[in-house]
Amino acid sequence: MSSNQQVLVDGFATALAIPAEQVTDTLAYNSIPQWDSIAHMTLVAELESRFDVMMDTDDIIDMSSVAKAREILGKYGVTFD
Amino acid sequence: MTDREVKPPVTLSGYQVTLRDVARDDLEMIRNWRNDPETRQHMLSQETISPEQQSAWFDRLQSDPCQRQWLILYRDKPIGVASIKSVDEGVPLDAASRVEPGLYIADLAYRGNILAFAPTLLMNDYCFGQLGASELQATVKEDNEAALRYNRKLGYREVEHQSGLVRIALGPEDYEVSSAPIKAFLSRPVRR
Repeated sequence: MSSNQQVLVDGFATALAIPAEQVTDTLAYNSIPQWDSIAHMTLVAELESRFDVMMDTDDIIDMSSVAKAREILGKYGVTFD
Repeated sequence: MTDREVKPPVTLSGYQVTLRDVARDDLEMIRNWRNDPETRQHMLSQETISPEQQSAWFDRLQSDPCQRQWLILYRDKPIGVASIKSVDEGVPLDAASRVEPGLYIADLAYRGNILAFAPTLLMNDYCFGQLGASELQATVKEDNEAALRYNRKLGYREVEHQSGLVRIALGPEDYEVSSAPIKAFLSRPVRR
């Protein structure tokens, strides 16, 4: 796992208060009770802090899954190779 | 305004969404949303709505100065319904000190999303800023933890527990403080 992938997983686990093993690409909002509209906000703040980026509102709204988060962060120069 | 006069429309835009008055063409879509068991389970009334009931409701709504119902649009697509009504019976919204907002997001793609706050921010800004309300109130089912968490985040305080329901209230000062971080997320630049 790349270091940024680990940071991403840790960010999701911390923000949603779930085990890291639960953070898979298919994890999406509404798929677990912990990821609601409030946790969504916490998650964005957590990822912005860990990757030192500031996302547009459209990207915040579009960040609907772990895979989508990685895709969006890629637009801000974060690599996951 | 007399009972027969149709209210002038009020359109609110901001935080990435638009609220526009519900129109007759929206009724069947809204009725289907409202009757969906997933949405209905959180409503205080479990009754399903017939087309006739829906049409009669809309007819009353047109001239009712005590309530307003909006369709929520995101990227020009309807995603839910937002409403406000005067808490004190018969008091028009523009004279009401206590207003009860309502909301449901029908589009599952946005239910667990920060966007779910946007219509509420618009309504609350309108109630406190334009209508001059001094308090917003809501009644939530005691077991609807998601709605209680959502409203606490906006600054609501629990006022009373009774018969499985929780009455919650929000003043303008608490709202201003609590909503600031949410507004900051929803007021950033957009790509388009």
